[in-house]
Amino acid sequence: MQKHNANRPAVMDLLEHHGGLAPGVSAKVSEETGVPEADIYGVVSFYTLLAKPGVARVCQGISCAMAGCDALADALDARGEPYEKVSCLGYCDQAPVQIDRELELTKFGPVGSVTPDDPDLPINLAGHDDASYNALAAFEEMEPDAFLDQLQSSGLQGRGGAGFPAWIKWKAVRNEAAGIRYVVVNADEGEPGTFKDRETMLRRPHRLIEGLAIACRYVGATTAYIYLRGEFPAPRRALEVALAQARPHLTGLDIRLTMGHGAYICGEETALLEAIEGKRGMPRLKPPYPTQVGLFGEPTLINNVETLACVPEIVLRGGDWFKNLGKTEPGSKLYCISGHIQSPGVYELPLGATLNALVQAAGGYVGTPKAFSPGGASSGFLPMDYAETPLDFKGLAKVGSMLGSAGVVVLNDTVDMAQAVRWQQIFFEDESCGQCAPCRIGCRMQRQAIDAFIETGKVASLEHTEDLHWEMEEGSICGLGMVASLPLLTAQKHFPTEFEGS
Amino acid sequence: MSDLTVPILTGPTLTLTLDGEQVHAQDGETLLDVCRRAGKDVPTLCAEDRVDPMGSCRMCLVEVEGQRRLQPSCAFKVQAGQVVQTDSDKVQRHRQLLLSMYLADHELDEDDLPRERGTGNLLRQHVLNHGTGPDLPPINAPREYRMENNPYIHFDPGACVLCNLCVRYCDEVEAVSAITLAGRGAKTTIATADQKGLLDTTCEMCGGCIAVCPTGAMTEKPSLASNFQEEKVVRSTCNFCGVGCQVNLHTQDNKIVRVTSPPPGETVNDGNLCVKGRFSMEFVQHQDRLTEPLIRGKDGGLHPTSWENALKVAAEGLMAVRQKHGTDSLGFISSSRCTGEENYLLQKLSRAAFGTNNCHQCAAT
Repeated sequence: MQKHNANRPAVMDLLEHHGGLAPGVSAKVSEETGVPEADIYGVVSFYTLLAKPGVARVCQGISCAMAGCDALADALDARGEPYEKVSCLGYCDQAPVQIDRELELTKFGPVGSVTPDDPDLPINLAGHDDASYNALAAFEEMEPDAFLDQLQSSGLQGRGGAGFPAWIKWKAVRNEAAGIRYVVVNADEGEPGTFKDRETMLRRPHRLIEGLAIACRYVGATTAYIYLRGEFPAPRRALEVALAQARPHLTGLDIRLTMGHGAYICGEETALLEAIEGKRGMPRLKPPYPTQVGLFGEPTLINNVETLACVPEIVLRGGDWFKNLGKTEPGSKLYCISGHIQSPGVYELPLGATLNALVQAAGGYVGTPKAFSPGGASSGFLPMDYAETPLDFKGLAKVGSMLGSAGVVVLNDTVDMAQAVRWQQIFFEDESCGQCAPCRIGCRMQRQAIDAFIETGKVASLEHTEDLHWEMEEGSICGLGMVASLPLLTAQKHFPTEFEGS
Repeated sequence: MSDLTVPILTGPTLTLTLDGEQVHAQDGETLLDVCRRAGKDVPTLCAEDRVDPMGSCRMCLVEVEGQRRLQPSCAFKVQAGQVVQTDSDKVQRHRQLLLSMYLADHELDEDDLPRERGTGNLLRQHVLNHGTGPDLPPINAPREYRMENNPYIHFDPGACVLCNLCVRYCDEVEAVSAITLAGRGAKTTIATADQKGLLDTTCEMCGGCIAVCPTGAMTEKPSLASNFQEEKVVRSTCNFCGVGCQVNLHTQDNKIVRVTSPPPGETVNDGNLCVKGRFSMEFVQHQDRLTEPLIRGKDGGLHPTSWENALKVAAEGLMAVRQKHGTDSLGFISSSRCTGEENYLLQKLSRAAFGTNNCHQCAAT
């Protein structure tokens, strides 16, 4: 049991400082924080950047795999340099990528594109990052209820993946009775195929900080956390510079930047809270929801980077303006696109744009397209029959997929679907937190099933995949387990000829 | 593994529908509380009354109307008007599939059932009671095994379902925190800091981890060879200290092979024991144990005698010292193994019979 005044949130930084999993480090951090030594060992062994510090990392995500990440690994092998193969590094637009021991990008393809400067886009990645904080000033002139009306009429849905109406969470946290509330920014972007938050923080950090400041003022929080993916040193520098510049506008607000340490699951909002608290990133049971019992047990508003970055322009131009930017659902949306297309990158399009429209913005397909993932690994695969289907929250859910984080990956006909499935299932097996049995056991089984199919060509290898998916979907604690079988299941459904073995 | 107690209604009640019948519950209770009171067979692995619910084993999921997915009854709170199903087709399908998955990640015996070693295995009972779904190939989870040379506690990761009860017990009940969940995904296991042996950690060898383990992944090393089904159980009081912990002595061929606590909530020790109570049992039938009074003779050796004579000789010795050196030359020290009543009698002997305040109890400082 930890000591009464234990400094648990300091655990991860101290572990990083003292060398992670090396023998004796847990004991040292235990002495310094008052958290039991075993607990600390449990934490350090959970996070890959802490458990294996100081080595190069080669991305194995689907976009990097298609772009030839094996060649990077082979080069390191040839030089005898130690390295780790990792699930996804969040640079799918620049695939294939590798980071060095300081987590800086060392090998990458062409730099990704963004939509050209257009002042009528709510985020407008290519625009000048305005540090005037006019929207914050305008917000402070508004009645809170009038602001909420604008947020509600904007129809802004959470851009992290779930698409939950933002105004409901904002209102819920504001109405909580507790004296302390927190705002947490989910900047732990890790879904394979997704890199929009990275670009937003690099190019428009003030948009995020301004949206965050408005959120804090509205819900009555004086402390906010930005939980930033550990493998993102460049966005970290951009945020640190912007936070220093923004300080005059942030009176009475304490905005803390907390770095992740290599665990995709910490993008799940309650696992993220656990990580900020210095624990293993295992999702909590819901209910209670974070709006009631969140960070350190207090009501907490958690929003994705992109969601918050939409807020300043909603304040300045009104909810209706934002809503009308959308095609099938409200607002514009940052779509990431990578894989077999001409200009991978982040494109801000009306929510509900089709794949064909997105690819057109990105310079066209490379080769003959065969399949795409509309929203990262979790959304599975769709055939090109859906190239004219609006990429939005409701429509994709109806066809058994999801918009998720809008990390679109296009696969052309040079890719074997079983192989593509394998890459995604490896990702989920590596990233399952291991807490609940359906996900812990199921993710490994599904990966073993596709491995066995590729190795033997026997259809029998895949005979239980649907049952397993049902149980993982029904029985897992969090969303990871619920969707982890979708790459396999959707590929079997839409590309049956590729799974006709012996 | 310990039993779950049936909660008693003490306050104002609300009503919900459980498997089609109206049942009462009170605010703050979980669905599992209600199910247990109604006698429903809702299987659990990670639930234990003495620790907070974790909801991670997913065995106890039930169907709650209005909820998109099945919910863990151990953690889901009751609400007036709820409609709950504990045995619907959906719940049954879930249980059987989940049990199939557990089997693929567990050591099995020659009948392909979860192995029992010494103690019972709740997973085995669930498989027998609820059946399983498809036969799934073993997943061969890459779990780290720890070198362990402590004398008492055996841990087998292959028989572990990662319910985390041992870790939570060690932390929440004993406040010792010697063990932890470590690793991630299929590699997750129960570990110590730096995978040291338990003797090099804060572990106090209370063996509570064994008592709460549902599958026997944690077992008593000295009792590994014993089969719990052949054991006779005798209730006794631990005599290592004055607390009065109740113990169940498990015997085989008239020998003590295992010591456990009665279930939580029934006795003063509430399901807990310490290292002495649980593991120090060899002395009972040890050949060196004193079984009769001995008196040192003039030859310097010890000789058996009757209790009557032994007490007489002791009293004479004490009286002789008092006569020669005065009452305050005597002192009386009682053992921490004595009960409160015995300590009272010893100070009475010291003060009233001999007239000295020189009395002490070894645990008093």
